[in-house]
Amino acid sequence: MTVAATAAGLAEFRAAVHNWCRAHVPVSWRQAQTGASDEEYVSFQRAWFAELRAAGFAVPHWPAEWGGGMSVAEQVVLYSELAAADAPRLILAFVSIHHAASTLLAAGTPEQCQRHLPAILDGEIWVQGFSEPEAGSDLASLRTSARREGDAYIVDGQKLWASGAQHADWCLLLARTDPAAPKRRGISYFLLDMRTPGVDVRPIRQATGESHFGEIFLTDVVIPASQLIGPENGGWQVAQATLGAERGMTMLELAERLGNAGFGRLVAACSRRGEDGARPIDDGLVQDKLAGFETDIAGLRLLCRALVEDHEAGRSGPADASIVKLYYSELLQRLTDFGTQIGGLPAQTELCKPASAGWESGAWALDFIGSWEWTIPGGTSEIQRTIIGERGLELPREPAAG
Amino acid sequence: MSEQTEIRDELRAVARDLLGGPGRAGQAAAAPGGSDVDWQVLAGADWLGLEVAAELGGADATFAEAAVIAEELGRAVARSPYLGAVVMSVGTLNELQPNALRDRLLSEIAAGAVISAAVLGSGNGLASAGQPPPFRLERIAAGAVLHGQASFVPDAASAGSLLLLAAGQDGSPVIVRTDPGVPGLTVTKQPVLDATRSLGLVSAAGAEVSPDCVWQFAGDARAASRRLLDRAAVAVACDSLGLSEAMLAATVGYARVRQQFGRAIGSFQAVKHACADMLVQIRVARELVAEAVQQVADRECADDEATVAASMAKSSACDAAVSIAGKAMQLHGGIGYTWESGIHVYLKRAILNRELFGSPAAHRRRLAARYA
Repeated sequence: MTVAATAAGLAEFRAAVHNWCRAHVPVSWRQAQTGASDEEYVSFQRAWFAELRAAGFAVPHWPAEWGGGMSVAEQVVLYSELAAADAPRLILAFVSIHHAASTLLAAGTPEQCQRHLPAILDGEIWVQGFSEPEAGSDLASLRTSARREGDAYIVDGQKLWASGAQHADWCLLLARTDPAAPKRRGISYFLLDMRTPGVDVRPIRQATGESHFGEIFLTDVVIPASQLIGPENGGWQVAQATLGAERGMTMLELAERLGNAGFGRLVAACSRRGEDGARPIDDGLVQDKLAGFETDIAGLRLLCRALVEDHEAGRSGPADASIVKLYYSELLQRLTDFGTQIGGLPAQTELCKPASAGWESGAWALDFIGSWEWTIPGGTSEIQRTIIGERGLELPREPAAG
Repeated sequence: MSEQTEIRDELRAVARDLLGGPGRAGQAAAAPGGSDVDWQVLAGADWLGLEVAAELGGADATFAEAAVIAEELGRAVARSPYLGAVVMSVGTLNELQPNALRDRLLSEIAAGAVISAAVLGSGNGLASAGQPPPFRLERIAAGAVLHGQASFVPDAASAGSLLLLAAGQDGSPVIVRTDPGVPGLTVTKQPVLDATRSLGLVSAAGAEVSPDCVWQFAGDARAASRRLLDRAAVAVACDSLGLSEAMLAATVGYARVRQQFGRAIGSFQAVKHACADMLVQIRVARELVAEAVQQVADRECADDEATVAASMAKSSACDAAVSIAGKAMQLHGGIGYTWESGIHVYLKRAILNRELFGSPAAHRRRLAARYA
């Protein structure tokens, strides 16, 4: 679906998405997804993805020939409207449609693209196999090895924090192919079929009690050489080029969600009477905090808008994505912390939160605990600050250890 | 890139050159008293009449262009009556019904011949609905006289001409133009820590008013006076944004060269991360300020939207500036605390800006009134 990027065209598109949302966002999906089993969550995610796909809304950022082709201006409208309608989030397909697709499009062979991009539209699920027990923030020190033997690589090692690993069909895998090379020059990037013998997935139970992540154990796993993506030993460069690819538009969507459902729920929580009969919102301190959050969220939304526009225009700075990620993560943490305080002890009796929801589901205490899922993964806040300082402000690098 | 953006970029480049001089950015700071700006230089650059109509000798531009100058004056911590004489006075005169005296005053301001100040309320206040004007006109046998008072008015003490917001005899707001020396009117300088700004107390106790100097607003007078205070608040936010950027540039420049423990201090995470936080605050404030400037400049924009944007920009940019100037002083170490480093000039201007035209808390209170 493409429309002219005129103001009138965009207004028409906005109305169309708005109406689509009214017709298609499942009524009371939040209730249905609260306490949902893993199977219920997965089937709901698959059904929602299919709905979006049928409307042409699932992969708007892909090139037109693969089923996307929406302009950035239209995508901004699309994600704003989905957020405003409090639509479910695409979580299961997230790595597939963003990271896997951008890696395939940037570095994949025509055969690799042809094999996987249509399959992703049909529901193929991907997981990212990057982090390891000894390679977190220092990702380049990863130790999973891949040995070339004839037409294949033999892979051994362990991956950690693989989001959605239990449900994945395929894995974006980084492994070391040249142990003698400097650490960033000996890594290769593979497409791994998760059904391959020797792949063992175990869920990790996280601080919230849920298991979004898994550990992947790899023992003598055979990957055909045709499933190497990018040049041998050039995997780090491919990963660097595609890591932030999805960040702009997904951050925009999250910022819109924070501004719509997130802030709305917070104001609603502050407007409810507590056991003492008082409403928090009548307290000047609470009002001050709320107005501060509204201001910060407005700043975040503008920042995200600028990020996608600058990216589109080819004028984004080297630290822009880090600035947005850092600001969002810490704002989310502050806001859910405040929600937890407003919710008081009753907020701590909510033992599960709706699956498929945004990061501010309204189950404040769990949302607060879950906010560390933003400040730690994808480059911790400390790593982001270092990137901002070194790439954004050109401050001198820290002397390398060892 | 739009033509307007290009014009503003050009204006910014010229302003930086004129106000800062080459090589200033990245150095510690201005002279300890702030830098003086020759008013005739500003007039010669056509900055005084940016918002004045072309037929009156102005540039026919908008608040968005005046906002660029406000930001650059902040960056240079320049001592200049731009806020009172240009942002506030020209803004006020443009809200009035045209008349020959008003038009002449606009021409004189644009040419740099007259420095004016607009007295719209006390400088620590913010626009709120139902707030009475600071002055009132009273009829006497010989005509009308003025009563009232406003404190902390930017640039009132150095102005040669005053524009006072007053309740007219029917209660609706009007603007009264008067000379500071007229009997019954006193203007007293109120010295503050920030030596780069001039604030004054304006009191009227039966000050005589010439009938042809009582000027009517062109549209809804109350909406206009609220708009004018929002404009002033946003101009101060621009100033704070500019000075924040200057402080970050100075700090980063210093952290790159200052050596301790055998390394540039900017290579230490404690310093680097603090600088990163300054940049993040600036980026957020910059977006909010740009949005508010656009809303204020856009005459089509609904007043309440512009008011919301103004409150967000003012509270965010002015809070950020204090934190950033304070962090700049901290990261400069001992040298940052000296008078000579000039960092105190930025910090003092930042804490003054924070209070002018509504404190962050007052602006957030105004935002929160919408939640009920």
